[in-house]
Amino acid sequence: MDNELRELEAELQRLRPVAPSPAVTARVGRTLAAARRNYWGWMALPLAAALVGWIYLQDRAGVAPASAATRPAAPVAVTYKPVSAQNVWYEQRDDGLVTLANGTTARRYRSSYVDTFTWKNPRTQASLRWSVPRTVERVIPVSFQ
Amino acid sequence: MADIPDDESWKDWFERYGPKLLLCARQWTRSLADAEDVVQEGFVRFWRHQRQLGGEPQALLFTSVRRAAFDLARRNARRSDREERSDGGGDGAEALFETPLAGDDRRQVIEAALRRLPAEQREVLTLKIWGDLTFEQIAIQLGISPNTAASRYRYALGALRDVLTPADCHG
Repeated sequence: MDNELRELEAELQRLRPVAPSPAVTARVGRTLAAARRNYWGWMALPLAAALVGWIYLQDRAGVAPASAATRPAAPVAVTYKPVSAQNVWYEQRDDGLVTLANGTTARRYRSSYVDTFTWKNPRTQASLRWSVPRTVERVIPVSFQ
Repeated sequence: MADIPDDESWKDWFERYGPKLLLCARQWTRSLADAEDVVQEGFVRFWRHQRQLGGEPQALLFTSVRRAAFDLARRNARRSDREERSDGGGDGAEALFETPLAGDDRRQVIEAALRRLPAEQREVLTLKIWGDLTFEQIAIQLGISPNTAASRYRYALGALRDVLTPADCHG
């Protein structure tokens, strides 16, 4: 490249692109904040699952919860039976090319599901439904010919 | 689930990379508003899902924004090819750069010259000069060979030199 082109290149490099408007920065902040809230909502799921499991085991064992000490002493064997398990695939996204930690290039696909499990008490017809969002990432190495 | 708790460091990243991303996004979109939308979407996508992947973050950011631009184009069901979709960085109403060199006239002359470049040359020039990407990274972004990227870059610079008068070239 001759000197004239180098001077032009240097001149272009001194130009500073216009920054995104403050409104865009604010929108990014709001979106990331919402994502953080969702994240902690997701983190609560294992706790909820543990609670459901504990209640289920308590019911199966026919043991009344501790708080039931104040209720009339008429033990009821409440049994919830699993009645359905549903898996809904609602989105597939192609995230495009990504660079893995080892430097290789790969294409990443992201599939989103909602798994729903339902239990029912055949005696009282009471039901318990548990829906869990789930994301599956598939990373497929690619090669350029 | 790739979300992680974010701290506020995204602001530093956005301040550092936002202008470059916006300039490149304007090569792939019809308007400044569209470009800002894809910068937002691409940046958020990177920050939430790709920041932890390793590799060169700047290249990943550009990939993410470019992907967002194509997603937007698909959503808008535009069937024209990428060159036709691009407005070359706007219709001229909104400036591409903020710092005048030897005056605002000079900036306008350069911006006008940039807009007249063929889209594929302008795209490479933008990614190289203001995106700070290597020819290898540009080649991956655009699906071309590094040699082709380098050739387009040299053609772009040559075309700009031909358009800008010698007096322009020295302010």
